[in-house]
Amino acid sequence: MTSGNSLFAAIAMNPAVILTVGAVLCVFIPAALRRFFMLAFVAASATQLYRLGLGNFGSLTIFGETVTMLRIDALARVFAVVFHIAAALNILYGWHDKDRASAFATLAYPAAALGGVLAGDLITLFVWWELAAIASVFLVFAPGTRATYVAGMRYLAIQILSGVMLLAGILLHFAETGSFAFNAIALHDPSGAYKVSGVVMLLAFGIKAAFPLLHNWVQDAYPKSTISGTIVLSIFTTKLAVYSLARGFAGAQELIYIGAVMTFFPIFFALIENDLRKVLSYSINNQVGFMVVGIGVGTAASLNGAVGYAFCNIIFESLLFMAVGAAMFRTGTSKATELGGLYRTMPITMVLCVIGAFSISAFPGFAGFVTKGLIIDGVAEQHLFWIWLALLFASAGVLEHAGIKIPYFTFFGHDSGKRPKEAPPAMLAAMVISAALCIGIGVYPEPLYALLPHQEQIANYNPYTLPHIAEQLQLLLWAVLAFAVLILLKWYPPEVPSANLDTDWLYRVPGRAVLRWATGVTRVLWITCWKIFQGRVVRIMERIYAVHGPEGGLARSWPNGFMALWTAVVLGLALVLAFFA
Amino acid sequence: MTEHHGSSHAPGEKQGWADQRWFRTLFLSVLVIACLAAAALSFIPEFQKEHPHFTSENAPFQTEEFPGFFALYGFIMFSLIVLVGQHLRKLVARKETYYDERE
Repeated sequence: MTSGNSLFAAIAMNPAVILTVGAVLCVFIPAALRRFFMLAFVAASATQLYRLGLGNFGSLTIFGETVTMLRIDALARVFAVVFHIAAALNILYGWHDKDRASAFATLAYPAAALGGVLAGDLITLFVWWELAAIASVFLVFAPGTRATYVAGMRYLAIQILSGVMLLAGILLHFAETGSFAFNAIALHDPSGAYKVSGVVMLLAFGIKAAFPLLHNWVQDAYPKSTISGTIVLSIFTTKLAVYSLARGFAGAQELIYIGAVMTFFPIFFALIENDLRKVLSYSINNQVGFMVVGIGVGTAASLNGAVGYAFCNIIFESLLFMAVGAAMFRTGTSKATELGGLYRTMPITMVLCVIGAFSISAFPGFAGFVTKGLIIDGVAEQHLFWIWLALLFASAGVLEHAGIKIPYFTFFGHDSGKRPKEAPPAMLAAMVISAALCIGIGVYPEPLYALLPHQEQIANYNPYTLPHIAEQLQLLLWAVLAFAVLILLKWYPPEVPSANLDTDWLYRVPGRAVLRWATGVTRVLWITCWKIFQGRVVRIMERIYAVHGPEGGLARSWPNGFMALWTAVVLGLALVLAFFA
Repeated sequence: MTEHHGSSHAPGEKQGWADQRWFRTLFLSVLVIACLAAAALSFIPEFQKEHPHFTSENAPFQTEEFPGFFALYGFIMFSLIVLVGQHLRKLVARKETYYDERE
């Protein structure tokens, strides 16, 4: 056991702990000063991160096992940096929000995600993993309605399930390797068969990354939060999972296919969805899909791409959430059918939203372009032709639901007649900074590239080659042209208010049919069996009666004590019953 | 570009710039010219990859060498997503209060 002093020092030096302390303290700060205080703690944490530089810190030996609470290497640093940027922007954006619990979660949740990213061993990762689940649920609960309470409980159950699976995976992993170190995790044993420890951990990460069929919690919980809460939620859990996958499962072939499915199935759900915050929740699935593919390919280029894209995505995805949030703040709705035409009175928000849309669509000159190309090129370099086509298809899909649908139905489209004021200054400030980062990274990606884990690869990479620009412009511009043609021909489907089933369709429609069928079959079987049984019982009773009944042959030899015996039995039973009652 | 449903805006209000004919015409013209220009670029050797990733040995189609492939793919796939995707509603769409009634 380590001495108390070094344990305290190891904990206190952790930037994530600084943020957590800030989260607890900010609850006691008056509302007028609270957000300044929160920003100060983000600055303190960022300073500590910068001051520490790269390396392992806070290694302790507890019960004979080495625990590294803080590992800052190139991979962890990228995420740590962007988490700080995002945390600061979220605090700024939610300046109007006076709710204590939300303020706590706005710091504690990024802190937990940061702690997870900086964890050098699996035990530390597990602790932060669970803290992230618990801290974030306050944001789901924040609106305080019954619907958000129930959604929050569902969210918590799924997040805790992920944590429990992670713990199970960690223990199995420890039994096999004798180490809690968090490095590459083997998914297969030497014979090629799947290892339970690897699969369980992959699933634990997969729940948080919202793998296909494990993704519903994102659309269920995120859009139900408050305006600023949704933005905070949209960032950290899935990106912590992306980091964990990049750390543990880089190069796992399975991820290529899982990621490819993730990129294209949400496109269709996003197309028909009316709630624009839900559209963006589907967009998270799609975007994380690109990163998962990059991690699965596992080359230096694709890993740089996955990590760099996570960095940029955090900024432009939240910019889009912020723009829709600003429209919702002013109009009270995020539904496409109730929005539209807001460009007249919210022109600045509209321009900022369009910048986010250009970025997520990966137009040259914006943040998406300089990082997404690395993933798609990484796939092409491995000659994964169909995956490559799938990613291009998904890129057209991104343009549809995030690049066009979000700005078009919020700010253009049919005129809702709503003439709200421009977004409040704090929201605008957060959006302006995000938009500036989108353009800044797009035009001058070198500082971001300097943070990426595989420097030998990125040093020779130039995103602005003529073929890359030409290919991307063709893909995107012609897709926009397709949109214009569909609108002119009136073939673009109108938005309709509806609740759309997702994976719950499986149990609500075919599941219900199967259940109904099974119930029917069981009923028929039961009745048949009962009839057979009843017939037999009746016949047996008749025979017994014939032999033992008053007229039966054996009745003649009944002893007189028989009646006394039965009386005793009945009395005994009555006694037992009386005792228990 | 923006569709007219006209009735919503206040009677005395001037039409917004994005709803005016000149803007729609300008937007469409710029878009069409940009599309044609982008497609034209792919015919210029400088804008083609020196070493395409997909060759006859490792892929069924050498799409990168086919000028205008990305334009065509973008246009067709976008249309496909919208025209096919909307039918998903028939399968999964329910009335807006579907979940509320069960909670």
